[in-house]
Amino acid sequence: MAQNQDFLVKMKNISKSFGAVKALKNVDFHVKRNEIVGLLGDNGAGKSTLIKILCGVLQPDEGEIFFDGERLDIKSPREARNKGIETVHQDLSLVDTMQIDRNMFLGKEPTKKIGPFRFLDKKRMRQESSRVVGDVGIKVRDPDEFVAILSGGERQAISIGRSVYFDAKLLILDEPLRALSVKEQKNVLQHVKDVRDGGTSVIFISHNVYHAHEVTDRYVILNNGFKQGEILKGDCPPETVSEYVATGEEVDEVLDCSIEL
Amino acid sequence: MGSNKGDSKNNNKEQPELKEKLLDKIKKQPEFGVVIVFILITTFFTILNPAFIRLNNIAGFLTRGAELGIMAVGIAFLMIAGEFDLSVSSVYAFSGFLFIVIAEQIHSIPAFFLALVVAAFIGFINGNIVIRTKIPSFIATLGSMWAVRGLLLGITGGTSVAYTGDEFMPNILVRYFYRNFRPSHIWFIIIVIFMSVLLKQTRYGNWVFATGGKIEVARSLGVSVNKVKVINFILCAVLAGIAGIIAITRFRVASAAFGRMMELEAIASAVIGGTLMTGGYGTIIGAALGAVIMSMLRSGLVMVGAPSYWYNAFVGVILIVAAIVNLKLMKDIA
Ligand SMILES: Nc1ncnc2c1ncn2[C@@H]1O[C@H](COP(=O)(O)OP(=O)(O)O)[C@@H](O)[C@H]1O
Ligand SMILES: [Mg+2]
Repeated sequence: MAQNQDFLVKMKNISKSFGAVKALKNVDFHVKRNEIVGLLGDNGAGKSTLIKILCGVLQPDEGEIFFDGERLDIKSPREARNKGIETVHQDLSLVDTMQIDRNMFLGKEPTKKIGPFRFLDKKRMRQESSRVVGDVGIKVRDPDEFVAILSGGERQAISIGRSVYFDAKLLILDEPLRALSVKEQKNVLQHVKDVRDGGTSVIFISHNVYHAHEVTDRYVILNNGFKQGEILKGDCPPETVSEYVATGEEVDEVLDCSIEL
Repeated sequence: MGSNKGDSKNNNKEQPELKEKLLDKIKKQPEFGVVIVFILITTFFTILNPAFIRLNNIAGFLTRGAELGIMAVGIAFLMIAGEFDLSVSSVYAFSGFLFIVIAEQIHSIPAFFLALVVAAFIGFINGNIVIRTKIPSFIATLGSMWAVRGLLLGITGGTSVAYTGDEFMPNILVRYFYRNFRPSHIWFIIIVIFMSVLLKQTRYGNWVFATGGKIEVARSLGVSVNKVKVINFILCAVLAGIAGIIAITRFRVASAAFGRMMELEAIASAVIGGTLMTGGYGTIIGAALGAVIMSMLRSGLVMVGAPSYWYNAFVGVILIVAAIVNLKLMKDIA
């Protein structure tokens, strides 16, 4: 177990089917501490399915998960969050019809006791939300504003801020740059780096290598539910990585450009 | 947690527009639309007949408003979680009927609670049908609306049943205590406060908003969305049951047609009150005011001498106007 301490996440032999569709076939996957893993693959490769298993939305048909040194059956998103796994799902991180502060604390609302009853600690929700929103560089007048008025980039930033606020050990981002402007993409990437520098590991899902290349330490490529291989970024140009994703060519061992060169 | 104030820099610039900001805040209250409609209607009827705002008349429309309102508040709470319940009118009638039967056999106190247990059970069934089969609640509860009404018809054979029980619960629920005011008016206010606090001031309320707003987000953040839905179906049915028992103790007779179409009035009240049909947004106080408005229309039209047939036409117009106003007011959100 001792050598496991390098690993924050270890998923072994994970399989998952939806009826006849085998979304994942015997996939091994791990994340080290302080590492940003880029999870790549075409649409339908199984990326979202893999991380949904890790964050408790789906249960694997087969396989084991180790997190932070212990074996876990992650039966619900709440369990995952309690263990320090925060996820920003594809297009699904915030509720439009709710205010920013209500979103920020959704599922983990702070309360204060009055008599035998517990009520929302609204003052704290407002204050802390203001701070988180400010920390990720977003200018809103009031945490009482509805999320519907925010841009895509602002939503991603707030979702990431929320994960940091809740002391995530692992932050999972599913296609966080989709539908963002170039400037917004830059901001989000900066937040991802800040999160890692704060001691959190990150899984960064993308189907576009160029998006993730700047921040990624290691790539894991999925293809049709199989793990096609891993690439340590090192000096690997994005073209090389992209080539692998496009061709589906198997990557023997762990490809490490920095050693090859 | 550290408490460095990050927002102090934004504050100063906007000080001069304080008044505007306050106005903006008021407009953003989800009850804004319904309060305006409420004031307009009150003014309209009072100009046509000043007796409209006499205490006894207010008490009069509050009586019906409380019964419809208790039901509407439950409907709104459920609609905010993204579901519907058309069976409330049948639950209303069935609970009232059970109350009469049990009160006659035992006593009105156990009758009250047993009837509500049955209502809760119907809500539980509704909720489970919806979360397990995933059929839309509109269809599921259209079915249970007929099923429960049919059950009532089957048991009574279509005849009316008169109340012959003791006076304990009737006194607590509807006996006049001051002029035409009844305890049901106060129960209504207590229920509105309770449900409003539950919705706005508790964790559970936050989950209700999220479940109706975007269910996948709620689920992925750890909210037990199915539990929320079932609990809301139960609450909605229990409130319909309370409304039914209150009405029965007032009329002292249960007929099989009792409360028919009231489900639509309750939904209309919630919508007039600013609750979104699509879920995730709405207010308890708004729904309660919506129900009072419906009741005011009935009483007001009578007082200005319009034939009661005009009630439906008026409700239709008010419903559409209120829905448009509410939608305009929340163009940011929906
Ligand atoms: N809930 C589901 N039901 C049925 N099939 C699904 C479901 N979720 C994913 N799939 C299928 O599993 C495969 C992998 O999907 P996904 O993990 O979403 O891929 P990716 O995120 O890499 O684009 C696809 O073929 C997809 O259609
Ligand atoms: Mg995906």
